[in-house]
Amino acid sequence: MILLSTILLLFVAAFFVWALRHYLTATPLRGWMLALFPAGSFGLLLWQTLELGDSAETLSIPWIPTLDLSLSLYFDPLAALFGMLITGIGTLIIIYTGYYFANDKSAWRFLSYLFLFMGSMLGLVLAGDVITLFIFWEATSITSFLLVAYKYKDEAARRGAFKALFITGGGGIALLAGLLFVSNIVGSTEYATILNSGDLLRNSEIYLVVLSLVAFGAFTKSAQFPAHIWLPDAMSAPTPASAFLHSATMVKAGIYMMARLNPALGETEAWFWLLSIAGLTTMVVGAYLGTKQNDLKALLAYSTISQLGILMMLIGQDTEIAFKALIIGIVAHALYKSSLFMSVGIIDHETGTRLLSRLGGLRRAMPITFVIVVIAALSLGGLPPLFGFLAKETLLATAVHPSLPLLMTWLFAVAIVIAAAFKLVQAGLLTIDVFTGKPRDPAIHAHEAPKGMLFAPAVPALLSLALGILPEPKQLAEFFGEAAAASYGAPVKVSFALWTGLSIPVALSAVAIASGMLLFWQRQRLITWQRQLDGWSFNQLYAAVLATIDKGARAATRIQTGKLRFYLATFLLAMLGLVALTSGSAWTLPTGQGGTSGLHMQFDIIRLLALVAIVGGAVATVVIKRDFFAVLALSATGLGVAVYMIVEPAPDVALVQIVVDILATVILVLAIGRLPLRLRETAQKLRTGIQWPTLLIAVTGGFLVTWISYSALASRPRPSLVTPFYRANAKILTGASDIVGAIIVDFRALDTLVEIGVFSLAGLGVYTLLRFAAIKHADHGQAIDAQTPLAPHPLQTLGIGGFRVSPYIRAMGDILLPVALVIGSIHVLYGHDQPGDGFTAGVIIGLAIGFKYVVFGFQETRRRLWWLRPNILIAIGISIAIVSGAATTIMTGSFLSPVDYGEMLSLPLPTGVKLSSGFLYEIAIALSVLGSVGLMLDTLGRPAVDVDLLAEPPAPENRGN
Amino acid sequence: MILIIAIGIGTLFGIALYQMLQRNVIRSAIGVILLGSAINLFLLTAGNSNGTGPAYSTVTETQVDPLPQALVLTAIVISMGGLAFILAMLYIISARYQTGNLDEIDNLKH
Repeated sequence: MILLSTILLLFVAAFFVWALRHYLTATPLRGWMLALFPAGSFGLLLWQTLELGDSAETLSIPWIPTLDLSLSLYFDPLAALFGMLITGIGTLIIIYTGYYFANDKSAWRFLSYLFLFMGSMLGLVLAGDVITLFIFWEATSITSFLLVAYKYKDEAARRGAFKALFITGGGGIALLAGLLFVSNIVGSTEYATILNSGDLLRNSEIYLVVLSLVAFGAFTKSAQFPAHIWLPDAMSAPTPASAFLHSATMVKAGIYMMARLNPALGETEAWFWLLSIAGLTTMVVGAYLGTKQNDLKALLAYSTISQLGILMMLIGQDTEIAFKALIIGIVAHALYKSSLFMSVGIIDHETGTRLLSRLGGLRRAMPITFVIVVIAALSLGGLPPLFGFLAKETLLATAVHPSLPLLMTWLFAVAIVIAAAFKLVQAGLLTIDVFTGKPRDPAIHAHEAPKGMLFAPAVPALLSLALGILPEPKQLAEFFGEAAAASYGAPVKVSFALWTGLSIPVALSAVAIASGMLLFWQRQRLITWQRQLDGWSFNQLYAAVLATIDKGARAATRIQTGKLRFYLATFLLAMLGLVALTSGSAWTLPTGQGGTSGLHMQFDIIRLLALVAIVGGAVATVVIKRDFFAVLALSATGLGVAVYMIVEPAPDVALVQIVVDILATVILVLAIGRLPLRLRETAQKLRTGIQWPTLLIAVTGGFLVTWISYSALASRPRPSLVTPFYRANAKILTGASDIVGAIIVDFRALDTLVEIGVFSLAGLGVYTLLRFAAIKHADHGQAIDAQTPLAPHPLQTLGIGGFRVSPYIRAMGDILLPVALVIGSIHVLYGHDQPGDGFTAGVIIGLAIGFKYVVFGFQETRRRLWWLRPNILIAIGISIAIVSGAATTIMTGSFLSPVDYGEMLSLPLPTGVKLSSGFLYEIAIALSVLGSVGLMLDTLGRPAVDVDLLAEPPAPENRGN
Repeated sequence: MILIIAIGIGTLFGIALYQMLQRNVIRSAIGVILLGSAINLFLLTAGNSNGTGPAYSTVTETQVDPLPQALVLTAIVISMGGLAFILAMLYIISARYQTGNLDEIDNLKH
């Protein structure tokens, strides 16, 4: 739990900063105060490290137990080392930020991101399973994106941030795939298991795939060649972020992960060659490119790349000394690089530039900075007596280790000497060229930075010195040894002794220092030569990749015709194709015809007639020229379907089908009526002959569905699995002998609740769409809503569309509603034992109201039905359903379960009538459906707005061109 | 009989597709309804396994399967709501673009 709190502390800090954003202007003092968060985290980690026994400490909090996922932590010396580097340097960075952003009101954003990043990074190194690791891994990518893009008005910052995210994010996906493979092979996502299953992994058939995926993730994150190109561009981040992300933390994430997984995936030939070659190349390329940079931050970025190459190369080797060199290299680099970055930030802050061509002679103005930079740069250059010298010595010692192939020994040795020489040149540039001589740009007036600001880079610089010259702290050496052992998988002995007598490494070191000095002496010539060679770089490849993606997107959008029918046809064709492809076994004709299927397949003349009516009606909708009559033909089809359902026999469904069919017809007619004649006529004139492509799609679809229906119907062996339960229990459990009704109201009551919700939403949606448009354009219908007096009652009311209506029909209009109310009530009361239910009741009453609209016209109907408030009906209906459901939850413990209140209170009720929760539910359904139907009718029945008013202003043509 | 029913359902489905792909918005809406009918017929017929009597616990004959019926019932209701909503949308769209021709509604391109 203490481990978890070290991470949480940093997230709390991020939240704290965010919460105070309106009050928090960065000041040095506040920087010191905020630094207490990472310092506390550091302290806790230190305490935990001292308490740590021989085995790793783990913590696992179940997260998604069904997927066997948990939030796990794993704490061993390796994790401890990284954790303390992150929080330790993090503390200094926060102090430094307080000065760097002094009096900046928007610094809270930076600080908040920085804490988020710190927390994610700590989580990454403390993670105890691969999923937790991956989540924190991605979190560092995202937060570093935010940090790099902090100065988002600057295009370079945006580009740099995107580039970093693009490359590391791509690596993250590969890593996820690799880690999932790992957990699949091992059977667990926990480190504890994975680290002990090395043989299983190495002998796996897909070992190489796993290795390349994981390595790809680590290489992109740790800026290995050729994915290193994102790191220099990420230098557009404010310097505190660069100092933190690109010295101790983010770029080390890949190193950490490879070091962590070495016991599981390492110690193979593939591992050695992959890591060695990538690391070696990165080391040389980084060192070479760094030397020619004019911008000090870019120089440091390339030197970081070079160091990352060294570390990656060391993990690839399977020797004790390599892991000793690894740990020393990590620590040495974190110390001198963070110090140098912060110092460069100070130079930039105090002089306004960090270009080598403008700086010079800063020694007098900035003496303390000078001392700090000298110490750190000497460590970078690998000169004694600094810690960096030890790092380079051990590195050289690994190169000449007898276990390496001879060729590699030479290659390593030469490459390391070259890289070391270049690094020494860089150290010289940072110290001699910046601080001695005469100022190159007279416009620059430098000042020394505040003491507190110098504190931050001074600490790691002095540590670099102290670790080199002070007597070896035994405990620390042991701790480093343990950390190295955790990665190596066997004990490693670490000592900090600088001088171990004359040996090959010392000789090589001397060669490196000598050639470095030579190169530095001839630096003008060297850099001029380097700049002449400037040619192709991997940035061009990156640009080409992005350009290709753009081109692909453009090509993909070109097939977007913008025509709805084209899209629809595409969907349908794709779907038909899918069905045809995936229904493989269905293509063979079922052998057992009607007999074995159980489907009763006697020839049935009524069923046949119903089918003829259905298909005939459908054909008529195609053939008939006028839309209005086509809709009537559609209605005939619907009634045909109803007849088919009666024959089935499915009385409940047939009843609903009839009422819905009528309602659909009414609504279609109303909708057509609203469209102005002009538009309708243009649409009708479109019908010229048969459209062959459409016909082809239709015939294909029809054929496919015929086939599928035939094979499905002929081979259906039995009723649904749950049906026997429904049959047996409908009466007993729900008191309804109508099993379909019982399913709707009780067994699948929640479905029905959703269903009436959808239906109500449809009504509200129609209302919103049309009324919103109308109100926006202020039609005359708005007057009614505003309760203004209606037009005087005309002597003869006109029906819809202004047609005169015969008195008989008017009389029917008056009678129908009461009759419908009676029928509806019967349905609600007796629906559980016979056809009909609340839904039918709602639609029947709705139809009677619709009839009124047709007969009396909109205004008159509104006057007569002033009491009808559809929105309120919907609200009451759905509330009853939910309240009744909640009540049964209290009584029986199950939502919407059947409770018979009539029986409970022994009320005297007529036979067949039940006062049960089902009854209440039926009422709820009827009310909400009535409300929704009422809304639809009221909206569509309202005299249309002049359609021209709704027309969009002429579309801005050629917008993009 | 199975074959006849299958052909009936398939034909209905084909006609529905044809109507959906018309340029006339109203025909397109008709197509949507027909498509629903075709699917409902299929589901319902599938429930008729070896039954001749309606699904009532008071009926002693072999009953049809009530489950597909309940599902179809729900489907009918939902498609009704969907239809009303689609019509309202078509109305607004055609009013906005001043056309009943789906091919002229091409501003999706921008």
